[in-house]
Amino acid sequence: MAESAQFICIGCPIGCPLQLQHTGGKITEISGHECNRGAKYARQEFTDPRRSLSTTVAISGAKGKRLPVKVTEPVEKDRVIEAVRIIHALDVEAPVRLGQVLIHNLMGEENLNVVACRSMERTSTG
Amino acid sequence: MLNRIGGKYDVIVVGGGPGGMGAALGARDSGAERVLILDREPEAGGILLQCIHSGFGLHYFKEELTGPEYAERFLEKAIQYDVDLATNSYVSGIAIDSNGTKQVRIMNEQRGLFTVDTKSVVLSMGCRERTRGSIRIPGTRPSGVLTAGLAQKLVNLEGYLPGKRVAILGSGDIGLIMARRLTLEGCEVVGVFEIMPYSNGLTRNVVQCLDDFGIPLHLSTMVAYIYGRDRVEKITVAPVDKDLKPDMRRARDVTCDTLLLSIGLIPENELSQSLGIHLDVITGGPRVSSTLETSMRGVFACGNVLHVHDLVDFVTQESVLAGQFAAEWSRGILRPMDNIRLVPGDNVHYCLPHTLSPEREHTIYMRCKQALKPCRIRVGNLIEKKLRFVVPAEMIMFKIKPDLLEKFHGDTLRIDLVPDAQGETNG
Repeated sequence: MAESAQFICIGCPIGCPLQLQHTGGKITEISGHECNRGAKYARQEFTDPRRSLSTTVAISGAKGKRLPVKVTEPVEKDRVIEAVRIIHALDVEAPVRLGQVLIHNLMGEENLNVVACRSMERTSTG
Repeated sequence: MLNRIGGKYDVIVVGGGPGGMGAALGARDSGAERVLILDREPEAGGILLQCIHSGFGLHYFKEELTGPEYAERFLEKAIQYDVDLATNSYVSGIAIDSNGTKQVRIMNEQRGLFTVDTKSVVLSMGCRERTRGSIRIPGTRPSGVLTAGLAQKLVNLEGYLPGKRVAILGSGDIGLIMARRLTLEGCEVVGVFEIMPYSNGLTRNVVQCLDDFGIPLHLSTMVAYIYGRDRVEKITVAPVDKDLKPDMRRARDVTCDTLLLSIGLIPENELSQSLGIHLDVITGGPRVSSTLETSMRGVFACGNVLHVHDLVDFVTQESVLAGQFAAEWSRGILRPMDNIRLVPGDNVHYCLPHTLSPEREHTIYMRCKQALKPCRIRVGNLIEKKLRFVVPAEMIMFKIKPDLLEKFHGDTLRIDLVPDAQGETNG
C-alpha cells in the first residue's frame, strides 16, 4: 500500500516542504525539493534519521565547572535522549585535551565516540 | 603576561572573541610586530565558549565545529603568532594625543588602572542582547525573566539550570538552540512565541531544536503580561494582528517559572561613542570605510560590534581584513581615500562598508528587509545577478572587482534587491 511522509528540508533557509512516497518502506517518489540536497535529506530522514549531539559534563580540578563535549558522528534521532543520559553520567578530572576521547563506542556503536571540545588545565585549587 | 605589557604596540585589539582573534592574526600576518588583545573576561574566546552546539567553521575550516573548538583553534594560532593577550582586563577609555598615538586605558585587578600606547586600535567588543526593557513587557518584576544568551552561559559554563518550566519569547537561533539545550538538560520547554508571522531562526534549528522534541512554535504571538511576586508564575500570551497589536480577547495564560528572551542583539559601542566615532543608525555599529576604518583615523572595527553577523566564519573573514589594515596603518602605509559611497536601495536594510575605492577588490556585506524568492541584486549599473532567495535572517555577501569600479565615474553606488520577473514575495 502506498504511503507518504512529509519533511521540511533543512539544507538552506528556503525550507522546501518535501513529500516522500513509499510502499512497505520502499521509497517510490520524492517531491517538493528545489535542489538535490532536498531529495538526499528526505531519503536520509526516512531511512535513518540522525542528529549531531553536543552537551556538557561535570569536570573537577579545573577553573570551569562544565566541560563541553560532542559525539563524533551523528546519533540515531530516537536514541538522542538515551545518549545524553549516558554522557551526563560522566565526571571528568582535569586536565583534559581538546579531542580527548571520553567514551569509546557510545551505545555500542562503532565510531561513535564522545570527545572533549576544549582543553582545560588542572588548577592547584582543584 | 600582564607584566610584559608596556611600551608601544602597533595594534591593540579590544575584545578577545572571534573578531578580536581574527584581527590580531590578520595584523601579525600584515607585518605588525607587537599586537595585544584585551579581554574583560577571565579567558579569551568570547561568546563561542558558551555556544557548545556545532555548526561553526563550515566556510573557514571546511568542517563542522562546536564554538569552543573554533575558539581553541584560534587561541592556539594566537600563541603561535606571538600575540600578547591580557584577560580580566577592561578597557575604560581611549585617548588620542597630538601625534595620533592612541592611549588605551585598562583596568585590571593586579595592575589597577594603567595606560598602554598603540599606533592603531581594532574595536571588536561584540554585541549584547536586548532585554525586557527594550520591548517593555508589562507585568511584575519577578526573578526568572532572562535573556537566552545569559541562560546559555548559566547552563553551559556555570552548570546551573535557569528554571524547570520554560517559555521562550523570540524565535531567533539562540532561542531555538536554548529550547533544545534546556530540553536535553531535563527542563520542560512549554513553547516558543514569535511576534512575526515567520521564524527568525534557520529552518534547520526550527526542525532540529523544536519539531524533534515536540516543542510548539506560536507565530504572530506576543507575551502580553508577566505574573509572579518573587518568581515568574505565569505569562499571558496573545495573538497579534498585522499591525502587531495584541488581540486580548484571544489571550490565554501559560504557566511557567522562567521566560527566556531571544529578541535581538545590539552592537556594544559605548567605547566607540566615548571616542566620538560616527555610528550607523541601522546597524548600530560604526560607519566604516573600505579598510574597515571608523571615522577616527587609525581606529578600525570588525565583528558583531560593526554589525550583527549570523555566521562566525564571516566574522573571521571580516576581522582578518580589519587587522591587516590596522597593521598597514601602524606601518605608515596609507591606502588611497575612498571616493565612492555605497548606499542601500530597494529592500536593502543595510550594506557595508559605507565607502569604496576603485583600487582593489571589496567584499560587501548586506541584509535584506523582506524575503524575496527568486530575486535580482543590482549594484548601480555595474552588477546584475540573479539570487535564488534572500531572507532577512541570512546575511548576503558578494565581491566587487576593481575593474568594474574603474569604469564607474559617479560618486554614489546604490544596491537594490528587486523581485525577479516570475518572482513572488513572502514574509
